[in-house]
Amino acid sequence: MAVKKDYKDQKLAEKLRDRKYYIPDSNPEFIKDVEKIGQTAAHMCYQCGTCTGSCPSAPRSSYRIRLFMRKAILGLEEEILTDPDLWLCTTCYSCTDRCPRDLAPTDAIMAMRNLAFKRDIVPRNFLQTVQLIYKTGHGVPNNDANRAARKRLGLEAEPETTHKYPEYLPGIRRILDHYRLKENADRILAEGE
Amino acid sequence: MAEVKKYEEPRIGVFVCHCGTNIAGSIDVKAVMEYARTLPNVAIADDYQYMCSTPGQNKIAEAINEQKLTGVVVAACSPRLHEPTFRNATKAGGLNPFRFEMANIREQNSWVHMHQPEEATAKAKDAVRIAVAKASLLEDLIPKSVPVEKAAMVVGGGVGGMQAALDLASAGIKTYLVEKTPSIGGRMSQLDKTFPTLDCSQCILTPKMVDVYRHEGIELLTYTEVEAVEGYIGNFDVTLRKKARGVITPAEAEARGIVGGGCTGCGDCATVCPVIKPNPFELGMAPRKAIYIYHPQVSPLIYTVDFDSCVKCGLCVEACDTKQAVDLEAKDEFMTVKVGTVILALGYDIFPIEKKFEWGYKNYDNVITSLEFERLICASGPTGGHLIRPSDGATPKKVAFVLCAGSRDNTGVGKPYCSRFCCMYSLKHAHQIIEKIPGVVPYIFYMDIRSFGKMYEEFYYRIQDEGAKFIRGRVANITQDPVTKNLHVNAEDTLLGRPIDMEVDMVVLAAAIEPTAETEKTRRLFGVSCSQDGWLLEAHPKLNPCGTTTAGVYLAGVCQGPKDIPDTVAQAEGAASAASIPIHRGEVELEPYFAVCMEDKCAGCGLCVNQCPYQALSLVEKEGRTVMQVTEAKCKGCGTCGGFCPGGAIWMQHFATPQIIAQIDAFLLGGEQ
Repeated sequence: MAVKKDYKDQKLAEKLRDRKYYIPDSNPEFIKDVEKIGQTAAHMCYQCGTCTGSCPSAPRSSYRIRLFMRKAILGLEEEILTDPDLWLCTTCYSCTDRCPRDLAPTDAIMAMRNLAFKRDIVPRNFLQTVQLIYKTGHGVPNNDANRAARKRLGLEAEPETTHKYPEYLPGIRRILDHYRLKENADRILAEGE
Repeated sequence: MAEVKKYEEPRIGVFVCHCGTNIAGSIDVKAVMEYARTLPNVAIADDYQYMCSTPGQNKIAEAINEQKLTGVVVAACSPRLHEPTFRNATKAGGLNPFRFEMANIREQNSWVHMHQPEEATAKAKDAVRIAVAKASLLEDLIPKSVPVEKAAMVVGGGVGGMQAALDLASAGIKTYLVEKTPSIGGRMSQLDKTFPTLDCSQCILTPKMVDVYRHEGIELLTYTEVEAVEGYIGNFDVTLRKKARGVITPAEAEARGIVGGGCTGCGDCATVCPVIKPNPFELGMAPRKAIYIYHPQVSPLIYTVDFDSCVKCGLCVEACDTKQAVDLEAKDEFMTVKVGTVILALGYDIFPIEKKFEWGYKNYDNVITSLEFERLICASGPTGGHLIRPSDGATPKKVAFVLCAGSRDNTGVGKPYCSRFCCMYSLKHAHQIIEKIPGVVPYIFYMDIRSFGKMYEEFYYRIQDEGAKFIRGRVANITQDPVTKNLHVNAEDTLLGRPIDMEVDMVVLAAAIEPTAETEKTRRLFGVSCSQDGWLLEAHPKLNPCGTTTAGVYLAGVCQGPKDIPDTVAQAEGAASAASIPIHRGEVELEPYFAVCMEDKCAGCGLCVNQCPYQALSLVEKEGRTVMQVTEAKCKGCGTCGGFCPGGAIWMQHFATPQIIAQIDAFLLGGEQ
């Protein structure tokens, strides 16, 4: 267990926090959950770093997919689920294409996001995206600038999606309702106000 | 031959090699060649891209014929590499092959003076001038052939020595297999399973042990050590010490006239023996008596008396009864055997890992070595195959494996080399506990996993999939909980970038290996060199890994450097093949570099006789005078006697005084006479 000391100053306490890894601080079941949801044998990762090397997010942020894989194997659940970097994956699947152990690190990240969502840990912009999808069927809905651009290119103003066929919106909403995504997004956003 | 020679007018051919850009990249080869043409006695000088190629060699043979050369100089690489090549070319041209001299302008020049082309070229000219001076005085030499004894010796009865002996004997060569302990089998017989196939080690080894024991061509000499070695390739006289065993075999009993006597391995003697000692085969974790066998599968199945602990109470003699196998008055016996070639398969010991005190071996109860783990996990071991904590006998649920324990260590305490099989056996250990202990978690602390062999990487994959946890980081230290005797393993998870404090029930140290205690003595007896770390030195690391610089002596297994069982067996088969070649040829050619006594100058003082490191010299009566005589086959041409002789009466063939003086003059005088 991490050694705790009673510093009165909270900043100092955080600065001098025991960051050592102790087995009792970890959850050995976490990797099994990730594997079950992500459907990939994450425990077989041998930490070569091909994933981080392929990652378009890595050079522009502190997001390190190899490190998430490592922490998952070590069962550092708390640390992973509260890390804002977890949400920096663009799901481009480059890492999955190149992983020499034939794993799907992207799917492991998606699984960890699912587990985070279960505990209401989601960045606000993701929740707003859920609301937009519920409302328009699009994470990034069409707008006037886009419509003008489409016309200049000789296209119809609205694409072949729910924008053009709003009768399909109820179907999308049913899916989101089934998973209670909208409900949870609304609730979490409201709680955050 | 030994008289002062009258030389014909020398005509020397000089050939300068470019070696691609190896030489020509820093040395002006054309300038060296032009310079050679100005030297006295040089009849022809030429250069070529690769002198060792067929056209290059043809140049030499053609020049000898056309120019009526008396000597050849090639300025190229090290004579160690291509002297035999150019000697053959010289011979092909019709000259005696020893009329060839090599100037090394690559290893000792172009490679080390890569950035000083002018100085390198000047040095190459010096080297050529010196070689020409010697070549002008070279003479015909005829190598001697000596017969080879049709027998071989293998020292060390582990899996490598056993394989070598089986191969030699199966090739029709009488083979003596000498083993210092009472049984063959070696380290492999201590192992539980082998990676990556997970074969039971004993199960695959014992048939081989039986084959060795039964083979008609093998004379098995256990509990025997090499005492002295004399002679040379083809004719080694090896004196062996048969240590007093205190127990006679049925064959020995028959020779003593005891009908139906001798040890049958029944064990009645050990049952009654009152002296209890730790069994070294079980690394002291199980007892044995003063009259003992290591384990039930020993070969030969003959008991041995440990005379250091035996109190000579005589109970065993009574228990043995009419077989009369126990002889408490036995003494060491000596025997000398003549063999043509020798294979050293001396094996290894475990490095005393307690010297790395930070891991607490011998200080903390639950820190063990991997060899102790092998015995504990082995069904025939001291715990019947149950891995237990030495502190309380409990079954461990979290086990840390510390790799590179004492290997890859430059502190001077550990070993600088990789011990090469620890990664793989630690993976195997992880598998074994997962298989035997439900719910156990093995933690493998590693720097790199070196799984380089056939099916080894696949084995690593399998063990990771079975649930072994891998932590990349060398263990910094281990501390013990004084109450629970649990261990705290401190390391950095370098992949996480954070320190780790892992509480485990047991730690297994994959300790480094080192040459056995006897290796140094044995290698000196056979005149074999060793590298800085004590492993025996092969003749060439890539192209002659089984041979040594001593003709007729070969290496097999770990004594040459750490290797696993497949590599050991492969090298043993290679060594057996190499060692059988001189025996099947029936004779070997010796380099004619021996000393020759110029009898009219020799005063018979005998001072040289004691100087000779090879006992090759003796004094004899000839025509009423005492003169020195050289046993040519024993002489290695070292020159000790030649340099020492007060009367200058010893002629060192191919390194004769006039030849060396000419070389020195050529260097100091720069070609002036």
